[in-house]
Amino acid sequence: MSSQQDELKETDTEARFEFKKEEKSAFQTEKGLTEETVRVISEDKDEPEWMLERRLRALEQFQEMPMPTDWPGQPDLSEVDVDEIIPYIRPDVDVRAGVDDWTELPDEIKDTFDKLGIPEAEKNALSGVGAQYESEVVYQNMQERWEEKGVIFCNMDEAVQEHEEIVREHFMTKCVPPSDNKFAALHGAIWSGGSFVYVPENTTVDMPVQAYFRMNSEGMGQFEHTLIIAEESSEVHYIEGCSAPKYSAFNLHSGGVEVFVGEDAHVQYSTVQNWSKNTYNLNTKRAIAEKGGRMEWISGSMGSKATMLYPSTILKGRGASDNHITIAFAGEGQDIDTGAKVYHNAPDTKSTIESKSISKDGGRTNYRGLVHIADGAENSSTAVECDALMFDNESTSDTMPYMEINESKVDVAHEATVGKIGDEDIFYLQSRGLDDDDAKQMIVSGFIEPITEELPIEYAVELNRLVELEMEGSLG
Amino acid sequence: MSTQAIESLSEDTVRRIADERDEPEWLLETRLNALSALETAELPDVIQTPGRRWTDLEALDFESLVDPLNQSDATERTAGDDEVVILPFTEAFEEYGDIIEANFGSVLDPEHNYLTALSVALFTTGTFVYVPEGVDVEDVTVRAEMNSRSLFSQTLVVAEESSSVTILESIESGDDGVDGDRYFSNLVEIAAGENANVQFGSLQNLDDESYTYSLKRAVTDAYATVDWIESNFGSKLTRSDVETELNGDGSESQIVGTFFGTDDQHFDINARVWHQAEHTTADLVTRGVLDDVARSVYEGVQDVGNDAWNTSSYQRENTLMLSDDAEADASPKLIIHNHDTEASHSATVGQVDAEDLFYLQSRTIDSLTARNMLVEGFFVPVLEEIAVDEFRDDVEELVFERLQ
Repeated sequence: MSSQQDELKETDTEARFEFKKEEKSAFQTEKGLTEETVRVISEDKDEPEWMLERRLRALEQFQEMPMPTDWPGQPDLSEVDVDEIIPYIRPDVDVRAGVDDWTELPDEIKDTFDKLGIPEAEKNALSGVGAQYESEVVYQNMQERWEEKGVIFCNMDEAVQEHEEIVREHFMTKCVPPSDNKFAALHGAIWSGGSFVYVPENTTVDMPVQAYFRMNSEGMGQFEHTLIIAEESSEVHYIEGCSAPKYSAFNLHSGGVEVFVGEDAHVQYSTVQNWSKNTYNLNTKRAIAEKGGRMEWISGSMGSKATMLYPSTILKGRGASDNHITIAFAGEGQDIDTGAKVYHNAPDTKSTIESKSISKDGGRTNYRGLVHIADGAENSSTAVECDALMFDNESTSDTMPYMEINESKVDVAHEATVGKIGDEDIFYLQSRGLDDDDAKQMIVSGFIEPITEELPIEYAVELNRLVELEMEGSLG
Repeated sequence: MSTQAIESLSEDTVRRIADERDEPEWLLETRLNALSALETAELPDVIQTPGRRWTDLEALDFESLVDPLNQSDATERTAGDDEVVILPFTEAFEEYGDIIEANFGSVLDPEHNYLTALSVALFTTGTFVYVPEGVDVEDVTVRAEMNSRSLFSQTLVVAEESSSVTILESIESGDDGVDGDRYFSNLVEIAAGENANVQFGSLQNLDDESYTYSLKRAVTDAYATVDWIESNFGSKLTRSDVETELNGDGSESQIVGTFFGTDDQHFDINARVWHQAEHTTADLVTRGVLDDVARSVYEGVQDVGNDAWNTSSYQRENTLMLSDDAEADASPKLIIHNHDTEASHSATVGQVDAEDLFYLQSRTIDSLTARNMLVEGFFVPVLEEIAVDEFRDDVEELVFERLQ
């Protein structure tokens, strides 16, 4: 690594994520969204006819659906004008579907991911890595030993070509149909890039696979699609990281994630999101868990101007279970509206939701969650716990859970607390020689520990660093 | 809503109601304003989640439910002490017109929503309670029977500085009522002066052909306390909102709710508190039981404003399900704008504890009796909050009846 990269890695400044590269692309669409745009994207990708048809149908649905404006206390989306964004930018890379060696990438792209520390992490802690720059995946690699076992980790566009049957069956059909919400429909029309993960029966991928998403161009939208299929008794941990430099125009990120958790399979999906503070982050993420399957969502929402993200799990088979851990950190000008949705549709299903949020300098966090227990889902249990920490009275902390219980043989509990950092805790730490800032930082680190301990050490360190960055200089 | 214009309603109707009661001009104005507000007013907000609306108020056929000129009730008002004023509105204007005019609508805006506007435009019964400065009265009771297709009731409580009062109101269906669906609308506003203490208990036990809308709201001055007890047992569909605005420093409010649903009863229960001053405290406690195919919907809101330093705010909601076909929906909400706050809420849904049942059965108590004992026990924490024995006995009696 060059000394400049070393420096960036060590300095813990916003510069690590905020640096910009000159916009250089091979192909980009015009601003805005028309049938023509959709056809152009599909053609540029040389897609089969059925995919084009799905895109066009999604476009129709997008145009029919109204903007969501009637949610109590929802973030202001009035600035989000789809006609102002560039939906598709193909970076200048020779090899379609990405290279499998970092050195083959153009220097400025390689440099970007070096600064973000991705190749380094790949060497140390990951089974596979995908990296998306603008609309396309530029790098994709997985250790050979997994390939031999039949594990597939490739970019979504490649999967449409190479694994057509399985993609056709699962892509935005039964998990996240475009009709789910306006931004899912938008996503369905102009999705590009993302990951396809397939884990065969009885296979445990013991090191995580990771995808990193980077938006570099001003005013663009990123719409990557992630499809994970974990067959019976398999296990996989997928990590997603996101960042973008800040421009004056807004960016839009509207990803789609679909996870199929087979019988007795176990999927963990971890996200550390650090989009620039002009990005609207409006995602739809959903998992369907079969009998005995286990789904875990770990989410850290640090960046973005406004986030609306409610990863959901449908517990479809008997004994399936779900675990949500989410942390939201909203600073100045940020509105992080996030939470969880769980549908208990079978007996003996379990879910736990643990949410931690921090708001400061006028930021707003909201936990918005729904737990639905269907009639007949006997012996189901759910426990929801939300804790919020507030730094000042400029900030806002909301908690809006919804529970719909149609079954009597259940155990349902929801708890929430909101408070400020305890003066006594700070006093204690100060009496041990820490200054005020360090004391507060330490309390915050402790507050989010339930999240960090679920992540591989590299990511836990990363998350802690981001929190420190957010806290820096603004305490008093 | 404005989607549902009621044919039988006109300015003329409202004038006739006011004339019959010999009301002051300002009240007629208020009524007429409420009437014209109906054109644009919306039905109360109802919680919606993807694909579901928790209560369907729009399905109510107000056209056939509202019969403004044939309202009839039998209401008995008593007070243990003559220092407190308790009068039907009609008889109160002569002597207390100024106090009523100063307070009417100051706590609860008549044009708050479609149903409040309808109620203010058409009310024919109701009670004015006036507790002068320093007066301490325990047993004010208002027992009402509804004897008509529709009945609109309006209650105003003015508690002056350092006064203290306990008020109980109850409503049930009279024997000579009409057949078929009926509609009862009940608005209550309480203005609690500095250091005043008001406990307001309400017991609704209308028959199963009735629809009930009730909105009760209090505003507190400094160091005032308003405690609500809201018990709902009757009606086919009940929408109940109990709200306190804590506007004075150091003021407090407790909202205790109970409900017991059987058959296809539907309860939409809401408790809300706004902390808008320093050192305020709120405690929201609701317990309900559902049997058969009954359904409950609960929303609790704790809203802490920017200036509400040193706030304490708590909320608990527990629902017990006795039947597999019942449904319990809940949404306890926290809206916090000041960090100097200690706030928490919790909500649970479950059934009678199997171990407790087993224990009682091992003591030779049969399973139904054991279950009933546990249900009665479930209500104890809220019953304990009721200061007046008579009211507590009534609630216990109603729980007992439903367990038979």
